[in-house]
Amino acid sequence: MLEVTDLTKHYGDVRALEDVSFTLNDGEFTVLLGQSGAGKSTMLRCLNGLTSPTAGSVALDGATLDNSREDVAMVFQQHNLVEGFSAYTNALTGSLGRHPFLRSVLQLVGRKEKLTALDALGTVGLLDEADQRVATMSGGQQQRVGIARALVQQPDLLLADEPVASLDPGSAETVMHYLKTAANEYDITTLVSLHQVNIAAYFGDRFLGLKDGELIFDGGPEELTPGVVDELYGDVETVALAEETAPDRKTTTDVTEPRLQEVRP
Amino acid sequence: MTLHPETESDEDDELTPREKLSEQHQQRRYRLLRGIVGVIALIVILTFAYGQVGFSVRELINYWPEFVTAAHDYFPTTTYFGIVPFLDFGRYWQFIDAANLFSLSVVTVSMAVGGTALGIPGALLLGTLGSERVTPFPLNFVFRALMSTIRAIPALVWALLFIPLGGVTPFTGTLAIAVDTMGYLGRLFTDELEEIESGPIEGVESTGANQRQTVFFGMLSQVFRQYIAWVLFILELNVRVAITLGLIGAGGLGYQLMIQRQTYQYTNMMAAVIVTILLVSSVEIVSQRVRARLRNDKEAPGTLEYLAGMPDRFAQSVFR
Repeated sequence: MLEVTDLTKHYGDVRALEDVSFTLNDGEFTVLLGQSGAGKSTMLRCLNGLTSPTAGSVALDGATLDNSREDVAMVFQQHNLVEGFSAYTNALTGSLGRHPFLRSVLQLVGRKEKLTALDALGTVGLLDEADQRVATMSGGQQQRVGIARALVQQPDLLLADEPVASLDPGSAETVMHYLKTAANEYDITTLVSLHQVNIAAYFGDRFLGLKDGELIFDGGPEELTPGVVDELYGDVETVALAEETAPDRKTTTDVTEPRLQEVRP
Repeated sequence: MTLHPETESDEDDELTPREKLSEQHQQRRYRLLRGIVGVIALIVILTFAYGQVGFSVRELINYWPEFVTAAHDYFPTTTYFGIVPFLDFGRYWQFIDAANLFSLSVVTVSMAVGGTALGIPGALLLGTLGSERVTPFPLNFVFRALMSTIRAIPALVWALLFIPLGGVTPFTGTLAIAVDTMGYLGRLFTDELEEIESGPIEGVESTGANQRQTVFFGMLSQVFRQYIAWVLFILELNVRVAITLGLIGAGGLGYQLMIQRQTYQYTNMMAAVIVTILLVSSVEIVSQRVRARLRNDKEAPGTLEYLAGMPDRFAQSVFR
């Protein structure tokens, strides 16, 4: 169980997070919603210790989390993989916290650990591509390798910061599908930040809504109404399922530009 | 009625075209003056410098016949098929064969390869620790300063310093190249590390890796290919350095070159120079091909194809 209590983070005068408290139950797949700048990334970075909060605390199963540690895994928007390494080697870096320096450098990590990495790649459907270099993979595949690396950490908490923000709709859906499958299969408490409301509504068991650093929504799929979405995203037409078409726009030829003789008689 | 009605209202800050023109003239005169001063300063500096080195045109004219004589020795000619006068490659080959210049080249290349290999671990250590990404700011300058000091001393001087250790031998030359490599290659490694992306570092950090693991998997992993490319580049330079070291007696091609000069065997000396050119350019071609392959990460043309395509590329660049 993840307990977040009065989490606050200020960057100088900017209040990125303000008194955020919530509890995630074991195995829950929760989506963190909010506009860019609402504090989603800051929250996730505080949870895995990449950023230290100004005030408040984060506790995982009773133990306080304060720096980057093995049992909290993170999937990043820009995958943050080592592009020159193969998918397999990248997945294996998830086990770094369990091994001393030299053994990890020489890849002397034992058969069980290697199987863990290959198993994780299998879970995200990339077993055949295990030896392929990450640089030559598509964005969606790279993100799945990122998920595999997170799984190899054998975490209690899985965080994903906008994992599909830079993917096309098809790849986004595939990646989210694998993320959810993995979370269920490995029974990991998961918190995913997203700004695509459709994807969120499709995959989420529970939703947290951040606005200007404050938690303004916490509920299940039934409670996530268009009203809530409008509240979170400030009534943007294209955020919800687009029912209206965009009003006819003026073409550029209609705009009257000032002519030269008008400026200089 | 005035020509410029607007100048009457705000004469103070608005320039008339006439005023602007005279301002431009003044600026031009100022630039001209600065240019004249600059040229005079340059002439003074150059006169001083040439004076210091004893440069004299009269010397060139007086000794020109002697140089021409030497040039005849450098480039001996013969007639092919009884009529066509051309360079006498036979004379060169005679010496190359007699003095075993190709096996001496092996000594020279061995100095370069051995020295480079010995220098790599030190370069890796100093280069990594010299980066601000690895060592916090004031401390990394200790390692940078160490590398600067090494570079401040030319390889030739390092060899002189090591003579008590290994005598005037190729072994001493190898040691000198090793130390030189630490300074140069280390610096290139440091610069390369400053360019890396923070994403993968953060990714590795987030897995609970310790600091050394983060440096290796997050940072060095990003520059691995570039490092190999730099090693090859330094190897190219080190072959040249190895020849220079031969000139002070550290064996190999350079040593033979010096002996022939001291005994005024100019044809033999030129034979050694020709072998030097062959050696350095073949090392360079191989190294550049490998580096191109590393850079592009694609199938680059092989060395033979590269050589075969050379005339074509020359022609293209000439007629472009």
